[in-house]
Amino acid sequence: MARFVKPLRARQFGRGQSNAGHSGVEEQPKENDYSSQDLQSLDLSADLQTNLGQIKAILSECSDVIYREFDFAQDDRIKLAIIYVDGLASKSQNSDQIMRALMLDAPLVEERVEFTRERAFTLIKKKLLTVHQLDETNSLGGVIDAVLSGDTVLLVDGHTFALINGTRGWEGRKVEESQTEIVVRGPREAFVETLRVNTSLIRRKIHNPNLKIEMMKLGQVTRTEVALAYIKGIVNDKLIAEVKERLERINVDSILETGYIEELIEDNPRSPFPTVFHTERPDKVAAQLLEGRAAILVDGTPYVMTVPFLFIESLQFPEDYYERSLVSSAARLVRLFALLISLLAPSVYVAIITFHQEMLPTSLLLSLAAQREAVPLPAIVEVYAMEIAFEILREAGIRLPRQVGQAVSIVGALIIGEAAVRAGLVAPGTVILVALTGIASFTYSYSSSLSIRLLRFPIMALAATLGLYGVICGVLTILVHLSTLRSFGTPYLFPVAPLSPGGQKDVAIRAPWWAMSRRPRLVGMNNLRREAAGLKPKPPPTRGKQ
Amino acid sequence: MRNKLACLALLVMIAGVLGGCWSRKEMSELAIVLGAGVDSAPGGQVRLTLQLARTSAFMAGGDGGGGKEPSTWVISDTGETIADVQRKLSAKISRHIYWAHDVILVFGEEAARGGIRKYTNFFSRELQPRETMWVMVARGEAKDILETGSELERTSAQDIGFLARARTGFSVIFKDFIIMLASKGGNPIATMVEIVDRGVISGDIAKDKPTKRKGVALTGTAVFDDDKLVGWLNMTETRGLLWLKGEVLKGVITFPSLTEPGRELSVNIIRGQTEVEPQYDGESVRFYVNIEVEGDLIEQQSVHESVLEEHERNGMEKEMAREIEGKARLALDKAQGEYGLDIFDFGEAFRRKYPREWEKLKDRWNEVFSGAGVEFAVDSHIRRSGLQGRRTSVPE
Repeated sequence: MARFVKPLRARQFGRGQSNAGHSGVEEQPKENDYSSQDLQSLDLSADLQTNLGQIKAILSECSDVIYREFDFAQDDRIKLAIIYVDGLASKSQNSDQIMRALMLDAPLVEERVEFTRERAFTLIKKKLLTVHQLDETNSLGGVIDAVLSGDTVLLVDGHTFALINGTRGWEGRKVEESQTEIVVRGPREAFVETLRVNTSLIRRKIHNPNLKIEMMKLGQVTRTEVALAYIKGIVNDKLIAEVKERLERINVDSILETGYIEELIEDNPRSPFPTVFHTERPDKVAAQLLEGRAAILVDGTPYVMTVPFLFIESLQFPEDYYERSLVSSAARLVRLFALLISLLAPSVYVAIITFHQEMLPTSLLLSLAAQREAVPLPAIVEVYAMEIAFEILREAGIRLPRQVGQAVSIVGALIIGEAAVRAGLVAPGTVILVALTGIASFTYSYSSSLSIRLLRFPIMALAATLGLYGVICGVLTILVHLSTLRSFGTPYLFPVAPLSPGGQKDVAIRAPWWAMSRRPRLVGMNNLRREAAGLKPKPPPTRGKQ
Repeated sequence: MRNKLACLALLVMIAGVLGGCWSRKEMSELAIVLGAGVDSAPGGQVRLTLQLARTSAFMAGGDGGGGKEPSTWVISDTGETIADVQRKLSAKISRHIYWAHDVILVFGEEAARGGIRKYTNFFSRELQPRETMWVMVARGEAKDILETGSELERTSAQDIGFLARARTGFSVIFKDFIIMLASKGGNPIATMVEIVDRGVISGDIAKDKPTKRKGVALTGTAVFDDDKLVGWLNMTETRGLLWLKGEVLKGVITFPSLTEPGRELSVNIIRGQTEVEPQYDGESVRFYVNIEVEGDLIEQQSVHESVLEEHERNGMEKEMAREIEGKARLALDKAQGEYGLDIFDFGEAFRRKYPREWEKLKDRWNEVFSGAGVEFAVDSHIRRSGLQGRRTSVPE
C-alpha cells in the first residue's frame, strides 16, 4: 500500500508493522525472495553480524553495495558497520562525517562523557555523527529502503536500531535552460531528474509555509518517489483528496516517467485529449499551484504534472503573464487561430477544392485549377500523402542524432517541397498548406498539438467524402466530446463552457494583472481573491496645481 | 432504451446521407465557364456560346509559360433549348461543364428582340449558374463578344465583369434582371455591350509594330418592352437613367462655366440621393424627383471664378444642378416619348404610395407613365476644391 509520508527522509518508523501486508501484491512473498515490502515487518536484531548477514542475503549479487565494518575509536568492543550504494551515496560525506567522526574524532568528546557500550547508540547519534540528516529505523525494510535510496546506514553492534545518514549525492544533470518550453522573457531554468532539486525549485518560487509537498513511493519494483505539491488554503481540499485517492489506487511494478501516472489517473482514458498537464518549467508549476492546482512530481523525470488541466491552458504560456497584456493577448489570438488552422486547414482545403469550387473567387479558382492541372492524384490523396510525409519528417527530426539533422532537413525540404512540385506530383498550394499546418501546430501546447494533429486525419477523410458538411460534423463531434470531458471534476472547456464571465479575462485575451483579481472560479474556488482591489496604476495628481 | 438508441443511431446515419454533398468533383475535371452567350439560330433554335477557361494557361509566372498560352476556349452549338445545347456541347468538351463561375451572361441582339424570357429559365432553374452574374445585351451577336480577348485581364469575360462592377453605366445582375422581368412597375433594362477599338498594344510583346486591338466596352443600356428588346440608351442617357433610378451615383459631372462661356468645370460625385414622389389626383399622375448631390471640384477650365467664394460657388452649384437635370430629362424624354416605357421603376414608387389606385392603372401603366409630368428639384453642393483653391497658373 502506497502511503503518504511527511518529510522525505522520515520513513514511517514504527509504522512498518501496522502497514505491512495490506496490498494483494505484498501478501504473496515467494520463498527467499525478499521484496522490499514484506521486510518492513522484520525487526533488526541486536547482533551486528546477524543483521549484516541478513542484509547481505537480501542484497546478494548487488555488486554496487558497499559494506564497511570498523571499530569505534576508543573501544574496540563496539563494532560498527556502514552500508551504502556506491555511486548513490556521497563518499566524502561517508568518510568525513561518519567514519572520521567515529574512528578519529571521537576521543575529542570522550573526556567529558562516560562512554559505555549501552550508551554508544545515543552518543553516536547525539554527539559524534556530523551528518546533516539523521534518522533511525528498527526494521530491515527500513534499512534496505534507505540504502537503495542513497542514504548510508550505520549499524551499531548491540542495538536493534540502525542510524540512517542522509548522504544522498549521486551524479545528476545540473539545472539547465528549458529545452522544450522556451521563453524570451522569464526565468530560464527547468526541472531536472532529481526530485529533491525539483521540489527546491518550486519552494524557491513560493516561500510560504502553506506550500505542502507530500511524499509517497509508487511502483512495486522501482519504488519511485512521487511528491504531491499544493498550496494549502488555495487548493480545494476535495481535489487533494481525489488526487491522493487516485494515486493510491496505482499498483504497478514501475513508474519511470510522469506519463505512467498520467494514464493511470486521468478521467477519460479513451479520449484523444490530455486531461493532465505536464511541464518542465518551475515558474509554470508555481503559477498553477497559485491558481489552486496540485502538482505531481516524480523522481527521475524533469516533467511535472499538474491537475486539473483545462483545454484553454494549451494556449496559455508563461510568457503571456510576463509580457504586457496587449502583446500577450495578440499572441493568444494568434495561437487560437493557429490551433484552428492546424486542425482544419487541410480538410477545409480538400472540401473546397473537391466539393465547393463555387466558394472561391474566380481568379483564385483559376490559379488553383492551373496548379492542379498537372497533378495526377486526387486532392485528398495528395494532401494525405503530404501530411504523412510531414509527420514522418517531424518524427525523424525528433529521433535523429544531432549530427545528421541537417542532412535530413535538407533532403526533407528539397525532396518533399521543391522536387515534388517540380515533378508535378504535388500542387504548390498543397505544399504551402501542409507547411503552414505543420508550423501552426507548434504554436500551442505540445501535448495538445499531438492530439489535434491526430484528429486532423479523420476530419480530412470526412472532408473528402462529405465536403464541408463532413468537416462541420467532425468539428461538432470534437466539440461535443470536449464538453463532456472533465479533468479531476473540472469541466474541460471551462471557462468557456460552462461560461464564466470573469474567467474570460484569461482566455482569448490576457487581461492586465490589475484586472485579474480572482483565480479561475472552478479551480481556485477555495480562495478566489488573489489581489487587492484598485491596483490599476494612476498617474499622480498634477504637480503644478497649488 | 435499446429502441431509443437504435432510433438515434438511425437518425444520425440518415442525417449523414441527407447532407447531399456526394457530388465530389476534382478541380482538374472541370471545364470552368467564364462567360455564356445566347443567340437565336435559324428555325427557332438557340445557339449557346461558352467561354471556357483553359486552366493550364493560368499558371502563375515561372516556367509555366503563363500568359503565352491562349487562356480561353470559345465553343458554341445550336439546339432546341439551352440544356439541349449544353448536352451537345458536352460531347465536345472532355470535362464537366461547370457554371458556378460564370461571370457574364450575354444575349445577342436578335435573340433579345425576339423575347428574352424564353432563354432565362435555364439559368434560374439550374443549380450551378449564379444569380450574381452580369446580364448584358450585345450590339450584334453574343458569340462575337465572347470571342474577344483582354489586354489587362486573362479573359474577356473577367474583363467585362470588372467593367460591369465598376458601374460606370448601368449594370444589373441576373437576380435583379429576372425580378425586373417579373415586375409590372417597370420595364427591364440591361447593360449594352459592343465591340469597339481598344487602343494599341505596344512594347516588348508586340516587338515591331503596335497592334491595334478590338475589344468590348459597355456603351449604354438596352431597353426592353416586357421581355423584348426595343432600343438603346447611349452613355449620356444612361447617366440620366442612373440619376432617375437613384442608383450608383459616382462619376464625374461636367458643366459649363456661368461667367466664362466655352469653359467647363468637372465635379467628382461623392454622395447622391434620389427620391421620387408620385402624386395622383384621380386623373393625372405627376412625379417630383428630388436629387441631392455632393461632390468635389476636380477640374476647372475657367480662370476668374473661384470655388472659395460663396456666391461664385453657388453659381457653379446651380449650373451643376442644371446639368444633372438636363441629363435626366434626356433619358426621361426618350423613355416617355420614343419608347413609351417606364424604365425607371416609377411604377414601383407609385404602387407604394397608392396601392389601390395602382391596381386600376397597372395594366396600362406605360401609357400613364408616358403622359405623366415630371418635375425636378436638384440640390447640389461642391464640398471640396482638391489641392487648389484658386488657379495658380493665372497671373494675378
